Amino acid sequence: MPNIRYANMCHWKSIPYRKIENFREFYYEDKTNTAYYSDWDNMLKYQSALGFEGIEIAPWDLADILPLFGSPENFSAFAKDRGVEVIGMFHGAHASHAADHFDEAVRSGREAVDTIVKFGGTYMNTCPTQNYYGTGPLSREEVQQCAKVMNEIGRYATDHGVKIGLHNEFFCAINLPNHRELIESTDPKLVHYCIDAAQVAIMGEDLLTFYDDYHDRISTFHLKDTASARQPDSVRYAQDPEITDDGARWFWEPGLGELDLKGLYRLLKEHQFKGWMSIEYDGSPDLLASMALTRYHLDNELRPIYD
Amino acid sequence: MNSDRIAISLDLINRHYQEPNRNRYESKYFWEELYPLISASGFRAIEIPYEPVWQFGGRSGVPMNRYCVNTKYESAANYRAALAKNGIDRVTGVTFEPNLFMRNANLDFYFGASGHFAGEALAHAVDLGADYFAISPSPYYGRVAHHHPDLEAKIATFAERETELLRGLAEKAEKIGVTLVLRNEYWSLFRGERILALLDALPESVKLDIDTASLSIAGVQPSEFIAAHLDRIGCVHLTDTSFVDEYENWKSPNPEFPEHRATQVFCDPGTGAVDLHQIVSLLDQLGYDGPVICSARQTRDPFRALLRTRALLNQLQN
Repeated sequence: MPNIRYANMCHWKSIPYRKIENFREFYYEDKTNTAYYSDWDNMLKYQSALGFEGIEIAPWDLADILPLFGSPENFSAFAKDRGVEVIGMFHGAHASHAADHFDEAVRSGREAVDTIVKFGGTYMNTCPTQNYYGTGPLSREEVQQCAKVMNEIGRYATDHGVKIGLHNEFFCAINLPNHRELIESTDPKLVHYCIDAAQVAIMGEDLLTFYDDYHDRISTFHLKDTASARQPDSVRYAQDPEITDDGARWFWEPGLGELDLKGLYRLLKEHQFKGWMSIEYDGSPDLLASMALTRYHLDNELRPIYD
Repeated sequence: MNSDRIAISLDLINRHYQEPNRNRYESKYFWEELYPLISASGFRAIEIPYEPVWQFGGRSGVPMNRYCVNTKYESAANYRAALAKNGIDRVTGVTFEPNLFMRNANLDFYFGASGHFAGEALAHAVDLGADYFAISPSPYYGRVAHHHPDLEAKIATFAERETELLRGLAEKAEKIGVTLVLRNEYWSLFRGERILALLDALPESVKLDIDTASLSIAGVQPSEFIAAHLDRIGCVHLTDTSFVDEYENWKSPNPEFPEHRATQVFCDPGTGAVDLHQIVSLLDQLGYDGPVICSARQTRDPFRALLRTRALLNQLQN
């Protein structure tokens, strides 16, 4: 058994079919590649064929997946039949910094944990609060409030066999000035950390130093590359910076950006990381091509260092 | 009919379903490159589907709601000016469908959220200078049934609450000079001729939105329906389909993607089985002079769809 197992963070937009039985007929209707991106049967087969044995879903997938499959359990069984397990779900802890939102933030986090358990997942990577724009800068008390919510959700998650991992976006109200303060204000037994390699680098952390400092808190990774490390406040704190007006990309497939991912893998070996690593392809125009490029890079550049 | 005054709906851009290159639709540059192409294909008016989802999560490059327009252009007036600079003179109408809010068993949440955002959409329609605001009076039947397995027992209650919501919107729409029209999608609780009972319960200012493909799929002849209800029509969507609903697909949770046989339900105008020539001819004969919109919903290629639609309209007599 390898030390690292690989998953995909689900960035497919809505997939309308479970399985297209009339694939050839559907293809001939218009002779485009629509048929290749329209059912979960194929999406999961692509993953499985490229060696990604896990899928991390997102809450915005639920509105489509649940009516399509009837239940989380049905989706997980369908995925398992194709060699893929649901490892967890992303969660956004909206307004967790606001004291008057405590009950709602905890309730919503607990509901997300319950959903993950139904899918058979064990990870909940959690963005600690909303975007900086319109919210930041947070006071020390607001950061502590955020930590309080994370601990509370973390306690419930731990009791239900789920690990929550803080997942910071580069444009989140928890940002460079208070990112480490939040981590250190949470209970290490209840709250872990998911390193999104590109997001933390864009925010201004040095990826290798950050992992070295917090290696004992790391539950999972979102592995992706960037050519845009250390963005200034004016970018990170701008309104809606994630999707750029001119189509410029923040995120690239591993190896196509500038991060020292080989250095990261040497540290993974040093600290003997064991667990899931999700690859993320947000911003890619072709998720299947990104998945294949990533597999090549993993097998030829990174896994030879540490597997 | 003078085809120069026919609008094209921006629903020809796939915002929600997976396909390669779909992500470009979330950036502002894509839309600003699109507008002159719409104009070059002979359309000087557009219809905008109002989609609250783009204001959650900071994806404001998609110009489908007030938040996004204000984020990128500061005001609806500036957005209209940007459209005009690219050859689009008018936003003919704004549409709104509430499927996003049918996500649990709580009908109070559904009616609260859909009512709130429908009100926002109506106000945005005014700011854009639209002639009509077209609302879908229900989510997908199958999506409601998923969250409310006792739907049939609840339909009367649902209809009462929807009527109350629509009365409030009708009052606002009348005051601000926009025509409220009811869509009649084939997947609706009020599909086909069922829409008439709902319309009867609303003020006379509320009109019908004729969607030719949706009527056909629901088993209603569009030309007969148009002739029978001419004085109640507020706008006409020229949509096309070859789909025959053999398995009551309209009741499924994802009715635009039939589960028994994958197929493209809505075709590019002129490529399906709906006789759009006859319908346009009939509208002319009957003296209909309200808004007419072409929709290439579900197209596999929006740029081809623009030209296909123009090719169809070129065949119609001016």
